Amino acid sequence: MNEYRFEDIVSKEESKDNYTKAEFSSTVTADKMEKFYEICGDNNPLHMDSSFAKAEGFNDRVVYGMLTASFYSTLAGVYLPGKYCILNSVESSFRSPVYIGDTLVVSGFVKVKHEATKTIEISAQIVNQDGKKVGKAKILAGFLE
Amino acid sequence: MTREEVFEKMNEVFRDVFEDDDITVTDETTADDIDDWDSLEHINLINAMETEFGVKFSMGEIVSLKNVGEMADLIISKL
Repeated sequence: MNEYRFEDIVSKEESKDNYTKAEFSSTVTADKMEKFYEICGDNNPLHMDSSFAKAEGFNDRVVYGMLTASFYSTLAGVYLPGKYCILNSVESSFRSPVYIGDTLVVSGFVKVKHEATKTIEISAQIVNQDGKKVGKAKILAGFLE
Repeated sequence: MTREEVFEKMNEVFRDVFEDDDITVTDETTADDIDDWDSLEHINLINAMETEFGVKFSMGEIVSLKNVGEMADLIISKL
């Protein structure tokens, strides 16, 4: 786990070559889908029923967008800034479907550092194993003392 | 930029942050006048003002602000 303090962070606005960034990868499994369903109860057939999803033009049942977006929690809470993070907001959008078995690379960099509010704006994205961007987000994070 | 123009842009920021097109701020407006103006929205508001006007505030500058008029004066002093 990273332990960045506000003072350690360098934004892209401050340095175009040496700004603070982080990246990790994770594979979506059927077990993760099942656990997500247990948590939130979303039983929409697009996520539960392979034949329904295929009939609607998808390759298979589609991974919950919010499951994919949950990796932004990990990005902020474990990597950037990590231990001292307090997550203020996540504005997330979904670009392309994610399927079970996809390996996602979650990355983010500090776009802006707000001294007055001791918050950082993280520009984040998630890319699948084929290099396709499946989602992006603007994350606002503060820091514990 | 005139003070009126600054207020015009500030109103746009307020409306965007608080998602309320009916907001019109004046010199005397404070957090007590806008329902959702809590500590998190205050962070969003200050950050959005920095982005909109291309200025940077220090923590000391923003904690001493008493109303929107003083916020406008602070912004003008940095333009």
